Amino acid sequence: MSRATALDQLLRSSPQLWNSRQVAEVRARDTGFSSLNSLLPGQGWPLGALIELLPKREGIGEMRLVLPALKKLCQEARDIVFVRPPHLPYPPALAKAGLPLNRIVWIDATSDEDARWVAEQTLRQGLVGAVLLWSDCTKDISLRRLQLAARESDALSFLYRSPQAATAASPAALRMTLSPLPAGLQIELLKVQGGRPARITLPPNLLPKPPSSEAA
Amino acid sequence: MLWLSIYFPQFALDIRPSRESTPLAITDKHGSRRWLIACNVACQSAGIHRGMDVTGALARDPTLKLVERSKSSERQAMKACGAWAEQYSNSVFFDPSRWMLWIEIGASLTYFGGLDALVRNIDENIESLGYSVRFGVAPTVEAAAIFAVAAQTGGVQHKSKLIDALSPLPIRLLNASPDTIEALKSVGWQRIGEILALPRDQLSRRFGPEFTLYIEKLVGAHPDPREPYRAPTTYRRRFDFADPIHNVEAMLFPLRRMLSELQGFLRGRDTALQRLTLELRHHKQQPTLIELRTTAPQRDSGRLLALLREQLDRTLLPADITELALTVDQFVALGDTQLDLFNTTPKRENDWADLLDKLRARLGDNAVKRLGLSNDHRPEKAWCVVHQDQPEDSVASALNTHDDEPERPFWLLDPTPLLQLPRLLGKPERIEAGWWTGDECRRDYYIAETSEGSRWWLYRDAKKQQWFLHGLWS
Repeated sequence: MSRATALDQLLRSSPQLWNSRQVAEVRARDTGFSSLNSLLPGQGWPLGALIELLPKREGIGEMRLVLPALKKLCQEARDIVFVRPPHLPYPPALAKAGLPLNRIVWIDATSDEDARWVAEQTLRQGLVGAVLLWSDCTKDISLRRLQLAARESDALSFLYRSPQAATAASPAALRMTLSPLPAGLQIELLKVQGGRPARITLPPNLLPKPPSSEAA
Repeated sequence: MLWLSIYFPQFALDIRPSRESTPLAITDKHGSRRWLIACNVACQSAGIHRGMDVTGALARDPTLKLVERSKSSERQAMKACGAWAEQYSNSVFFDPSRWMLWIEIGASLTYFGGLDALVRNIDENIESLGYSVRFGVAPTVEAAAIFAVAAQTGGVQHKSKLIDALSPLPIRLLNASPDTIEALKSVGWQRIGEILALPRDQLSRRFGPEFTLYIEKLVGAHPDPREPYRAPTTYRRRFDFADPIHNVEAMLFPLRRMLSELQGFLRGRDTALQRLTLELRHHKQQPTLIELRTTAPQRDSGRLLALLREQLDRTLLPADITELALTVDQFVALGDTQLDLFNTTPKRENDWADLLDKLRARLGDNAVKRLGLSNDHRPEKAWCVVHQDQPEDSVASALNTHDDEPERPFWLLDPTPLLQLPRLLGKPERIEAGWWTGDECRRDYYIAETSEGSRWWLYRDAKKQQWFLHGLWS
């Protein structure tokens, strides 16, 4: 056996060895936005990894960004769990966005700790399509637990945090800040596992049109 | 007919919640005489055994703890065992005074794959109840009882071999009064076979017709019909703590048994539950109620215990617990989801339901919500929380009627008065509703953009002449 084939075999047999020329295969789901897909290593939201979204403020399109992927999951009869969202996910809006309400679970936990526990349990159980968690937790160990739970599942795991968290380190595989611009929603990729930081602006049609322009 | 008799040699001891490591015995009394009817393991080393007089036992170990038997709790516990045993046969009965339970297994043999497999199944299952038991198998009720007490597990399946199997056994195993046994012994008889060989008329003259009838039933010469036990339609089970307990851990042992019995009861009826009430009773205080609701029909004792534990761990006990009471008053079909071998979807739905139950148990029933729509133009009333037992199609039908509705914001807020108005975009949407209930609203809804780039959903209340923030376009 030649040295090259032996090496090749070794590379293939052991998951601990990784050839830097090969791009690690990332399981991902289409985000619904081709310009965003092209910046992400698996051409979409990574599965089995924690995705951190840091919107500058509320009401800027931070939910619309994930809706196409959630809608796709619902079509595959997978459930979506909202864990301790800051407000009521308004059912008429969910239905309108193509998320059948019988696929949605709203966890109205009172404490941040309970919320993280729910997210972890739900991810570990492995059946859910997506978990969206709102948490103010800054403890590294808690975030790491979430990342581990996410890794065990094949769900989309979104963690919404306040923009102040951007400066702190995080175990999440993908981190991005979201800020409103007149030209649309600006996405700054702070950390991309298997990719590189970047910045794009999604066009403003992410946001609803005022009724008048519909009539026109 | 083939009877399996289950004898509980330590019944009075086994129904106690705790397993003491110091010598403890259960006593019975008749007139002025008190004697031991069950002793724990620690008694053996002190040379104390059942049947001993209390005075004699105390002489051997003065620290021996004596507890008087409670016939009512024994009867209660026996009923629970009876309900548990219904999973094996619809012909079950018991005699609490003899610590004996019978199951007619002749009709169930094929289903369970033969006698050995059935007894093994029962043996494994009864272990979860936490009783020590002995089995006896015979074509007659009384012979099965004798084999159980004599610990002859193999037993006899055919009547023809019954007399041969009974004959070598000592006469003290016969279910007759102590006086009759003494009288038989005084004649010099020692083995059951010697009694069976006697002419019946002679037996009747010397020991009474009742004893003769018993012997006839024992060998199957006379029919021995028994009224099968039927557990009541509401499942209730109580458990008394001799010493009040103050933590959850101490409650687990009796609770585990209660749930195992319940599981047997549910299996016997091929049914399941979705709601269970556990009452923790205290001395001179309102009981603490724990209600468990499950998303899908459930009968697995392990899962029920895990769910109850989640709730118990979060329950503050106002006082020590003197008594546990478990009630199930509604039963539902389990459905055929568990039997499907090749289709994995029902299994997934089961797991999903289990998860939701687990979440509910920790966070409370109201924290885990499903959402629905309701037919109302007022935005704050156009939705509802769907209860788990509500049929799903009521939600689905609502979906269609809302298809042509205008856009709505992702987040709905409680209306907050606005002092400063952000930039309004486009024309308003007029919503007028509720005048028929007196709860009238007339609002003009606008989409607005703040200077910081957020999009709000706001309205001007025509009556109050005021602006409110009602939603966020996220």
